[in-house]
Parts: sequence; C-alpha cells; structure tokens
Amino acid sequence: MEIYLQQLPQQLVNGLTLGGVYALIAIGYTMVYGILSMLNFAHGEVYMIGGFAGWWVLHLLSRGNVPIINASLIISLMIIIAMAVTGLLGMGIERFAYRPLRKAPRMNLLLSALGVSIFLQNLVLNYQGAKARFFLVSSLIPESIRVFHIGNVVFSLMRILVIVVAFLLMALLTVLIKKTKVGKAMRATAQDTEAATFMGIDVDRIIVLVFLIGSALGGAAGTLVGLMFTQVDYYVGFQAGLKGFTAAVLGGIGNIFGAMIGGIILGLVESLATTFFPATYKDVVAFVILILVLIFRPWGLMGEKIPEKV
Amino acid sequence: MAPTLAKTELNKTNKVILYVVIGIVLAVVPHLMPNSYWLRIYTMTGLFVMLALGLNVVAGFAGLLDLAYVAFFGIGGYIFALLSSNQFNIHLPFLLVLPLSAFLTMGFGFALGSTSLRLKGDYLAIVTLAFAQIFKLLLLNLDRPVNITGGVNGIFNLDPVNIFGLKIVSPVLYSYLIWFFAIIVVTASFRIKKSRYGRGWEAIREDELAAEAMGVNTTWMKLMAFAGGAFIAGGTGVLFASFQDSVFPNNFDFPQLVVVYCMVILGGMGNIVGVVVGAILLSILPEFLREYGAYRMMSYGLILIVLMALRPQGILGEIGLFTRGKTRPDRDETGVLKASTDLYYGEREQIGQLGTPQYSMTDRPLLELKNVTMNFGGLKAVDDLSFTLHEKEILSIIGPNGAGKTTAFNLISGIYPPSSGKIFFEGADIAGSKPHQVVEAGIARTFQNQRLFNNMSVLDNAKVSQFPRTKSGPISILFNFPRHKKEEKETEKIAKDMLNLFGARLTGYRFDQKAMFLSYANRRRLEIARALSTNAKLLMLDEPSAGMNPQETIEITNFIKKLRDIYGYTIIVIEHKLNVVKTISDRVIVLDYGSKIAEGGYGEVANNKQVIEAYLGRKRN
Repeated sequence: MEIYLQQLPQQLVNGLTLGGVYALIAIGYTMVYGILSMLNFAHGEVYMIGGFAGWWVLHLLSRGNVPIINASLIISLMIIIAMAVTGLLGMGIERFAYRPLRKAPRMNLLLSALGVSIFLQNLVLNYQGAKARFFLVSSLIPESIRVFHIGNVVFSLMRILVIVVAFLLMALLTVLIKKTKVGKAMRATAQDTEAATFMGIDVDRIIVLVFLIGSALGGAAGTLVGLMFTQVDYYVGFQAGLKGFTAAVLGGIGNIFGAMIGGIILGLVESLATTFFPATYKDVVAFVILILVLIFRPWGLMGEKIPEKV
Repeated sequence: MAPTLAKTELNKTNKVILYVVIGIVLAVVPHLMPNSYWLRIYTMTGLFVMLALGLNVVAGFAGLLDLAYVAFFGIGGYIFALLSSNQFNIHLPFLLVLPLSAFLTMGFGFALGSTSLRLKGDYLAIVTLAFAQIFKLLLLNLDRPVNITGGVNGIFNLDPVNIFGLKIVSPVLYSYLIWFFAIIVVTASFRIKKSRYGRGWEAIREDELAAEAMGVNTTWMKLMAFAGGAFIAGGTGVLFASFQDSVFPNNFDFPQLVVVYCMVILGGMGNIVGVVVGAILLSILPEFLREYGAYRMMSYGLILIVLMALRPQGILGEIGLFTRGKTRPDRDETGVLKASTDLYYGEREQIGQLGTPQYSMTDRPLLELKNVTMNFGGLKAVDDLSFTLHEKEILSIIGPNGAGKTTAFNLISGIYPPSSGKIFFEGADIAGSKPHQVVEAGIARTFQNQRLFNNMSVLDNAKVSQFPRTKSGPISILFNFPRHKKEEKETEKIAKDMLNLFGARLTGYRFDQKAMFLSYANRRRLEIARALSTNAKLLMLDEPSAGMNPQETIEITNFIKKLRDIYGYTIIVIEHKLNVVKTISDRVIVLDYGSKIAEGGYGEVANNKQVIEAYLGRKRN
C-alpha cells in the first residue's frame, strides 16, 4: 500500500496531463453531438492528423535534427498550424461527408463518418507509412531544464506545457461560448436548430464553425501529445478517439463543460489504474468505464435524462 | 389477385430446378479456376458471403449497428483453434466443434445484446466497438501468464477436417464444404426474412416504438438479431480457421469489420441478393486491382461515404432483380389503365352503406383507470385520472392542446409506466406492462403523428401486427414446419381482411406498395388497419381525422362508427373535430391540465360551463 501512496502524487500529475488532452479531444465530440446529435467517428483521425501536422512543422523548421529558430516559437507554430490544418479538415469533412446526409437516417450518417475515419487513416498510412514519426524534443529543449523534481514527483516541461495549453484553450472556448454573440448562437442552435433558424441564425455557418473549433482543438491535442510522448503514427487516432468519446460520454455528451471534467476524470482514473493493473490492460479499463457509463448512465455524470417524445 | 402478389415466390418445381442448377454450378466452378490462387479466392468468397449475411441479420434486418460483429467471427475461429489443435491437446471432431462453436458464439452474442439493449444508434455502435477492442486486447495479451490465445502469433496447425472418415484437405473439397454452408445460410436468410421474425426486425429498424406498440417484443427480437448474427459469424469463424489452418488476432480486427460492412452496404442492407452480390464483388474486385493494393482500405472508406450520400439503399436497392418484371400496378387484368378516381368512386358507395347496427354499448366494464397520475419532472401531464370504458362503447377524449390526452393513451398502451394509479383491462392490472404485452392483452392504438413502417409494403405493415398472435420460433421458421406455414397463412388472411375494410384504397396493387408512397389519408387508414390486425378488442385512435378534408372526414367518421356497429370493436378516440365527436361518441371525457373536468353525453358536455371556459376562456367579471 505504501508504494502506491508514494506513487500517488506522480500519477496525479500524469493523470492531469492525460486528462487535459482527453478533454480537448472530448470537446470536439461533444460540440458536434450537441448540434447535430451525431457521433463524429472521424474525430480521432483529425487528432492524428493534428499530430502529423505538428511533426511536419518541426521537421521543416529543423536542419539535421537541430531547430533553426527559437524553440518556443517553433512550439507555438506547431500548435497553431496543427489547429489551422485540422480546423480546415473538419470543415471539409462536414461539407462533403455529413452535410449531404443531414436529413438522412442517423445510421447512414454514422456509417459515413466511419468511412471518413477509414479513409483518412489509410490516406495517412499511404503517404506517411506505417512507421511512427519521432518528435525530436531533446534537441528542442536542453536536457537540463526538460525535467525537474519537486519532492518525489518528476515534472517534465512538456507536461506542464500540455496542461497550460490545454487549459488555456478550454478557457478561451468557455469565454467564446459564454460571452460572445457567436457563442450565444451556438448555444441556441444546440438547443433547437429550427428555432435558431427562425431567429435569423445562419445554422449552416454555426455548424461549420463548430466543426472548425472542435477539430482545431482535436488537432492541438494531437500536437501536444506528440510533444509529450514524442511520437505519432497513423493508428493513434483510433484509440485516442475512443478515449475522447469516453470522456465526452462521461461528462454527459453535448455538454462542453462536462467534456472537460470527463476528460480529466478519465485521465486520472487511467493513470491510477496503471498502479493496480498491468499496463497492457490500461485501455481495457477505459473501455470498461465507457461501457458501464453508457449502459447505466448514458446521459453522463453531468447530463440530464430526457424522456423520448412520442 | 395472384399476379400482384408474392414477387419472390417460386413454385416447388422451380425451386428444385434452382437448387439443382446451383449444385451443378458449385460442383463445376472449382475445376474452372485457372490456378490454386483463384480457387482460394473462390473459397474465401463463400466465407465472405456467409459473414456478410450474418451481419445482414443484425445490421440489415434489425438495423442495429453492431461493431463487435467481427469479434464473434473471431470467437468462433478461436474456439475451433482451442478445441481442435495441439494448443491444449484437445482434438474434438470438426462436426462437433462446428455446432458447438456456433452455439457458444451465439451465447456471446446474446450476452452482448443484453448488456447493450437499452442503447440506440451511436451509443450502441460505440459500446460494441469498445467490446470488440477489449476482445482484441485479450487475444493479444492472453499468452501470459498462461498461454491461451498464443498472443500475436496466434494458434496454428489445426486439426484437419474429417467428416465421417472423409478427410477434407484438398482445396476443391474445401470449396465444396464452404459453399455448401454458404448456400444454407442464403436459404436460411430468405426464409427468416419473409417470416414473422423478418417482419419484426424490419419494423424495429423502421420505427422501434411503433413496432413495440404493434405487439413486437422488441427486446427479445433485438437479442435474437444479435444472437442470430453471432451464430452465423461463429460458424463461419470455424470454417475460416480450418481453411486458413490458423488464427491470428489480425484476422478479426477492425479493417476486417469494415470490409464486411462495405459488402452489406454495397449490396443494400437487408437485401439478401444484394448482400451476396456485394460480398462476391468485394472479394473478387480487389484481386483485379492488386497493383493499387495500398489504396484498398482507402477506397473502402470512400465507398461508405459516397454510397451513404448517393445511394444508401445499395447498388441493387430498388431495382431488385425480382421487382423489375412486374406489370404496372394500376393496370387491371385486361391491361387497361385504371384512374385512381375509378378506384375511389367504385369504393365510395360501399363505404356509404352503414348496414344495420348489430352491436351497441354494453354495461360490462372493459377498461378501468383508477387515479392514474403521470409526472414528468414537476409537470403533472395526467393528474388523478379515473374513468371506466364499457364494452362496445365509443368514448371520445377531448380537451385543449397539452391537456394530457395523448399522455393518457401512452399510459394505457404502456409506453410510459404511470407514476401512480392502476389500469385494469378485463379485470387484470396492466399498468406498467410493456407495450407489446398490452397489445397481446387486446389493446391497439394509432399515433397522432403517424408512425407507419414507411419502407415496408402495405401488406407487411398489417402483417407485423400479427406478431404477438403467432408463436413460430427460429427452428420452425428455418425448417418451414407446418405450424409456421399455417401461421403465415392465417397472418396473411387477417392482414388482407383488415385492409379490405378500406376497400380498394389499401388493397389490390397497393398490397405491395410501400407505405411511404400512399397519400396522407391512406396512410392514416393504414394505421387503423395495422392496429386492427393485432386482433384487438379495444382500439385507441389518436386524432384519426387530423389533416383530412371534409369528404375524407365524413368517411372516416362513418368508418369508426361501422367498426363498432358492425364489427363490435370498443373504441377510444382523441379528436379535435367536434362534429366527428358528436356523431360517433356514446360518451365524452374532457381533459384540461391533465385532470378530467367533465364527462357525459356530447350535449351534456358541450354545455358544461367549465368546458366552455377551458376552450374559450373565462368571461371577465
């Protein structure tokens, strides 16, 4: 037991970092679900492509593994470009795969989303290969300041960066949704698309915007995870997507603040679980949580149960 | 009537000829293959036909997006590998392992179904996906501490198939074995599709709530879909493992699932011929495009996106091989086109005749509500409602919008369990029963906002309602036992009799027309015919005349009266058109804010001060 207690602070830090990333992914799911009531299956791939976009920025701005400009500038560029690329990608997905199906049965929409996911995953497989790409973080930040200790707990600069960026982005999103006119339009559209149309809101534009923001946050998560775990491959989106979805469901799907909290809870639970289970079963823990929540409390920890209208 | 019916029905001799032809083709084809590579593709195609048809049961017939399907295929394969190899030195014979594994896998399907029954659409998809992931993680990691699955390396060198001394080792014999089972699965698919099970599933896919309200035990049927799909997948897994002589986790991974989904979707979900064609196409085509192999999975993704956007019903879809040759439906036997007005006016006179009333209201209570209350959060939609309905009575429920009329219907028909109170039907308390149990007890309803099974034919819409009155199980359907044949005949007769009550509007060529192509008024009529086909005693009609023109309203009014006067049904009607209420009602109940504010004959109620206030508001003092 003692050994667990010793590990606890470290696992809390790890869990919080992981949780921040899951929260960023979960927001993308939950925003789309809130407005279109659909599960954007392709969101995991958007995250993966965000990771690759970050890698390419780093790759192009390095000569022989040594960055050619200031490290903080590179990291900012990586995140911003990854967000831009995935934001546009999200808009494209909406336009070509989902918009034609807006009036179709939900199953068709879901299958189309599945198609997008497979398409993107294999597109990247074809052009980037099956091997992982490595982020050469060691040349980006000198060893001396990359890791430091407070008591028994190891902090890495990257983890702190991930936590800071993730929470900063979530704070920005909160302001956008709570305080701006566009945010109000988004909330209105999520409540009732038709009524929002009648109030003069251009629902199509709001939906595009939701895909843009949600995907950009997913892309940011992709790059952040790349910086933290120093690699990305074509298959990471699948698992990450499932985790993000689990976080979204945990917080009550459609509920943005729920997604943030769900992400953090999932991150913490997963980190703590590795203390008790073999690491290979870490994912099983997450999936079991997903299954249990969906079966016993499908409206999530924060959501409300709504009876079906007959 | 004969030519308009039974579009896929072949007579006995044709069936025999068909099977003989198939037998000859299957016997010859393996010898025509240019080399052993193509023979292998041919055999794999047979496996994919089975696999796709199994998925077609779950996703196509029942509309359940089961993403764990490929795991069942894997479970079947691994069971065979564990029970017929050196892994644990167990060597059970193939003919025992095949059914054993299929049934065990079916058990897993049943278990998965029962944990995820309450979930719909996206949630079901994601939960089943999570199960599939857990399955794969277990396959990969259960080589330690005890080696069960062999981890990444899988299990190989499985026992050769031995059927009564005949060892199946040659590729040609394998192709015979696998295609033999494929043909069985095709036949079984056809049989189940046109049975009560097939109709039940299709109804669930179209509208689950309406299916339940027409007496389909949706919980059970969804479980059966999971179990049926898993059964086929498990059996196919055994054949696949034996054919490949090994099993690996990769054989049962997500990409494999996507391939099978593409086959089913390409062919058209639920369309058996289409799914078979889809499976064959997607097994063979990639072989011709092998230099583009890297793009294979990418193109599967594109297939899904493009098909969903442009042709969600699949490539065969509506141009189905068998519907093509049909003559124009509105042509009579002599080939003369009939205008729809001919049909209309030909029938009108008949409807006009009411005949001599044979039945009228009795004193025997049929339905009794006692202090029934329904809370939605803080809102009391129905507040302490009590009333008695007598046998062969026509009772109207009226009241302003939001008065709780439809909620009262939903409580009686079991869609919501009441928060408190009792509902007695023929003396038994039915409060809290499931809708299909209420139907079985003898109550049927229509919906205010029309919930027909739009993609099913008019006749099938009515046939669905016989679900609770028929009992044939999968075995008797698959083997076409006499009991099943008899029940099918009865179902058809009752459905046609009920549709006949509306004359030419729902009969003749319209039997085979999809419900969605009917006119608005005909769809309302079909809803009533569908409810009648449940053999109900008590009929609950929710705004039967809504949206009808004056002529149609008069007709439906007379029809409702006729249902009681001539056929002896007991009826509760929710209606806004007061002239309808006035004509048909023995008694009227007025609801306002969930409570009963008046009850009595139409004249009595119409002059009630409270009722007038509820409708028109209070005069200012």
